[in-house]
Amino acid sequence: MKKHAGAIVLFAVAALTPLVIRGGFFLDSLVIILLWGAISAAWNVAGGYAGQVSLGHAAFFGIGAYAAALVSARWQQSPWLGLLVGMLVSVAAGLIIGYLSNRLRGPYFALSTIAFSQVLLIVASRWRGFTAGSEGIPVPFRPGFWTLGLGHVAWVYVALALAVVYYLVEVYLERSRIGYQLAGVREDEEAAEALGIASRRLKVFAIALSAALTSIGGSLWAQYIGFVDPFYVFSVDLSVRFALHTIIGGMGVALGPFLGAALITALETSLRAHFSGIKGGYVGLYLVTYGVILILVVRFVPEGLAGLAARVRTRTIRAHA
Amino acid sequence: MDPARTLGPAQIDVLAQLFVSTILLGGIYALIAVGLTLIFGIMRVVNFAHGEFLMLGMYLAFWSFALYGLDPYLVLVAAIPLFFLTGLVTYALVMKGVIRASHNVQIFTTVGLSIALQNLALVLWTGDFRFVRPWHASVILRVGASAFNLSQVVAFAVAVAFTIGLFAFMKWTHAGRVMRATAQDRDAATLMGIDTDRVYRLTFAIGIACVGVAGVLVSPLYSVYPTAGLQFVLLAYVVVVLGGLGDMVGALLGSVIVASVEVVGSYVVGSAWKEVLYFLLFIAVLVFRPAGLFGQRGAENLGV
Amino acid sequence: MHRRHLVVVSAVVLALALVAGSSSGQAPSGEYKIGLLEPLTGPLAFEGKRHLEGYEIMRDMINDRGGVMGKKITFAVGDATDPTAAASEANRLITRDGVKIITGTYSSTLCGAASEAASRQNVIYWESSCVDPRFARRGLKNVFRTEIDGTGFGWYNIEFIAKHLAHRFNLRPNQLKIAFISEDSSYGQGVTEAARQRAKQEFGMQEVASEYYAFASTNDFTPIIVKLKQLNPDVVHHIARGNDAVLFWRQSREQQFVFKALVHAGATGYGSPDFGKALGADGNGPFVLAEPGPGLRLDALRPEAQKLEREFTEAVKKRTGAEPYASHRLAGAGLWLLKLVLDEAKTDELDRFRSAVMSLDLPVGSTLNGWGVKFAENGQNANERVQHYMLQWQNGQMATVWPEEFTTIRAKWIPLGPWDQRK
Repeated sequence: MKKHAGAIVLFAVAALTPLVIRGGFFLDSLVIILLWGAISAAWNVAGGYAGQVSLGHAAFFGIGAYAAALVSARWQQSPWLGLLVGMLVSVAAGLIIGYLSNRLRGPYFALSTIAFSQVLLIVASRWRGFTAGSEGIPVPFRPGFWTLGLGHVAWVYVALALAVVYYLVEVYLERSRIGYQLAGVREDEEAAEALGIASRRLKVFAIALSAALTSIGGSLWAQYIGFVDPFYVFSVDLSVRFALHTIIGGMGVALGPFLGAALITALETSLRAHFSGIKGGYVGLYLVTYGVILILVVRFVPEGLAGLAARVRTRTIRAHA
Repeated sequence: MDPARTLGPAQIDVLAQLFVSTILLGGIYALIAVGLTLIFGIMRVVNFAHGEFLMLGMYLAFWSFALYGLDPYLVLVAAIPLFFLTGLVTYALVMKGVIRASHNVQIFTTVGLSIALQNLALVLWTGDFRFVRPWHASVILRVGASAFNLSQVVAFAVAVAFTIGLFAFMKWTHAGRVMRATAQDRDAATLMGIDTDRVYRLTFAIGIACVGVAGVLVSPLYSVYPTAGLQFVLLAYVVVVLGGLGDMVGALLGSVIVASVEVVGSYVVGSAWKEVLYFLLFIAVLVFRPAGLFGQRGAENLGV
Repeated sequence: MHRRHLVVVSAVVLALALVAGSSSGQAPSGEYKIGLLEPLTGPLAFEGKRHLEGYEIMRDMINDRGGVMGKKITFAVGDATDPTAAASEANRLITRDGVKIITGTYSSTLCGAASEAASRQNVIYWESSCVDPRFARRGLKNVFRTEIDGTGFGWYNIEFIAKHLAHRFNLRPNQLKIAFISEDSSYGQGVTEAARQRAKQEFGMQEVASEYYAFASTNDFTPIIVKLKQLNPDVVHHIARGNDAVLFWRQSREQQFVFKALVHAGATGYGSPDFGKALGADGNGPFVLAEPGPGLRLDALRPEAQKLEREFTEAVKKRTGAEPYASHRLAGAGLWLLKLVLDEAKTDELDRFRSAVMSLDLPVGSTLNGWGVKFAENGQNANERVQHYMLQWQNGQMATVWPEEFTTIRAKWIPLGPWDQRK
């Protein structure tokens, strides 16, 4: 239990907050932090645990978003159904991508995932008959749980539920046999193969699982924000974001993605707020600051926040030894 | 019915024009890719900020032209040392600290750099589209029934010159050999007494110099704005992978191939799908020949 | 608790505190705060900035006239750089700044996300510029838009081509060969599809090509131009976004691709002053459906509108050193109409606000840009009241040439003729 104290605290705070703070802005930020955190955790399954650092996860996010939007806007069905459909399509996409890029390593793998997500972007933005093309899809808001038409407080709990489930998936991976095998593949694929681990299949499995989880996050996002734009949901920016949260928070660590999401989102939001009063042309300064902070954090805390905590602990242990 | 199906004199003109367009477009892509193939090839760093240095080159040309009336081809000469220096500074401030870190750290460092540079440009120079209009931007050259722009031809010529120059440098100079050795095996190189830090610094600086020059050269052809680098960067990666990392001639040939896919694709299938074509090509190359069409098999696993 | 957990938890608490601490507070009495969401960073930043300028200038003009509801207007500004940010900033403005009305936002995806966020908090959303046709069809009672919807652009363009150009080429509309080229953003697709539909269904024009291209990565139009040359269209309907207009025009000239007219719609591409800056007199000829510019007959407008026009144009010139761009005008007109509503309703309470909106009925020529106003039940300002003008590039300037009763300058070079003969 002690190992998970951090997570318990984090999730408990998230659960109790809506009872205390009712402001829309804070609750909205909380929903986004939890949602981004969950999706980053999904990324972590492939990136952190299996060592498959993908920069194209927006492909799965987008599939989930479109599935929810199309099912709900076009076919008037419940978005939960869309969530399911999106998940299935994403698993298929994940299997294809995983299989095709199986032998690629490091930057090559990352580049191939970018290429896949861009292909999907172009298809989505041109296939007017099906996806309404570049104009995107407005997602109707129909109040009710079955239609995912919820208020801010309810959304906090939906996002929190997702976050907790994904956290548990990560923990399971850490502890289970598959998790150990994945760790082996991640650290040294040849050695793992020599030990008889089916590394190729495992990698594809990790990507497919990650895809499914990411897709669900995308579907929920679509219902929350209410508008699906192909240039955003399939963007490289979004893919980079999911990876970034995990890297900042700690790859291959269950709590990492959530820490990273919390910090980055909070940073962005507050920088935007503080700089918004500045004369129009200088607003960009907040992003310059953000970029510089990013460079510094990645440089000085390469193992992520969770790793930093471990570093502190090691020093503490040494100090007391 | 597609008129290009029958082959008469008009069609030959069409083919000739498409051919010329392809070569010239390829030249532009080569210019941008040459610097990237060095950085990606030798340092194995996915430099997300590559396009931003292109953008800075374009702005250099723009402000020199707008404030002092200097022609981009003059600025070109100054751009080489200027961007070389920029590369050294960037390496010292940003890249050096992460050169021993994991690939992910390196990627995200360049992501941060990219965001910072784009928005710096936005704050300093606003998001308005700028133009460089020297006298030669509207000079049209005609050969037979084909027409092309003088600026495109110069860009192509410079691309070829750079490629040849860098190829010679990599193959025949000591520094070039040292760079190639470091790319193959960093640790072995260190054991051989090579100061890998210096190698990387030089590589990065040359790479940035190339892309900065590319920016100056293409400024008469495209508009200048803070996110101008984005449109070229992914494409440059396709070229680099296609041609084989660190391979100068491969970069040139890869550029021509990508350019032809674009040009022919636009003509036959329609411009809406041309990017899908080269991304699919990219994926195919990655799956079947990740070392690139012209690279050695297995080279993609070096240093990764 | 272990140190490690302490570090982790501290980091998280710090993060949450950062979010919680970004507060701006309510407006002092005597001031009325309106939320303003614009893309101030990202690829649309240059338009967002002009929008902001237009809003600020109009705000000053309104404040000089006494403000709204007896108070001076101030803005709480948010940077809506993508849909998630748009929703987040909308929420921030509502919660932290206590605004009851949000305006903006320039692009379709941003206005979609921001208006959703505003609706869920029962805040009025006053859109001045995005043109997504589905914006007003979501049944949201708090959402209003002053600008025409995108299908209107395509509609007007075809109107112009069919009724004012065709006969000057000695062609009937159904004999006209038309090629559609467009950049592939939501704007380009929306306008082009509306135009294609009307061209085919109402006038029977012969569509010879329909090409979409990615604005960001298109650096060479030669393949398209070569293909079009062979198809020989009479009219090219090109929706451009920026330098693609310059590139296409220049390369058409290089390839000696001759057509009788080129028509575009909107403030980007051919509709941007950058086109004239880049090409000068070489850019003579294209028609652009946009907000009015030089040549607009002020006396065709009502006196109050004339005064507004003059004052607004002067103020923009003073602040930016140039004539107003369309984004300035859209923002200014949008805010002015908001003022009219608030004057009538005397409150920002939704029901009374809504009835005030529905009660506005002014003919064309009454306000800035020569617009009139009449809102439909779904919150959309009627297309017919949002007067749009056809402009033409003449010697480095976009002259207002149609409707002729509003303009002093006439269209030239119909048909366009050889490239070197357009003086």
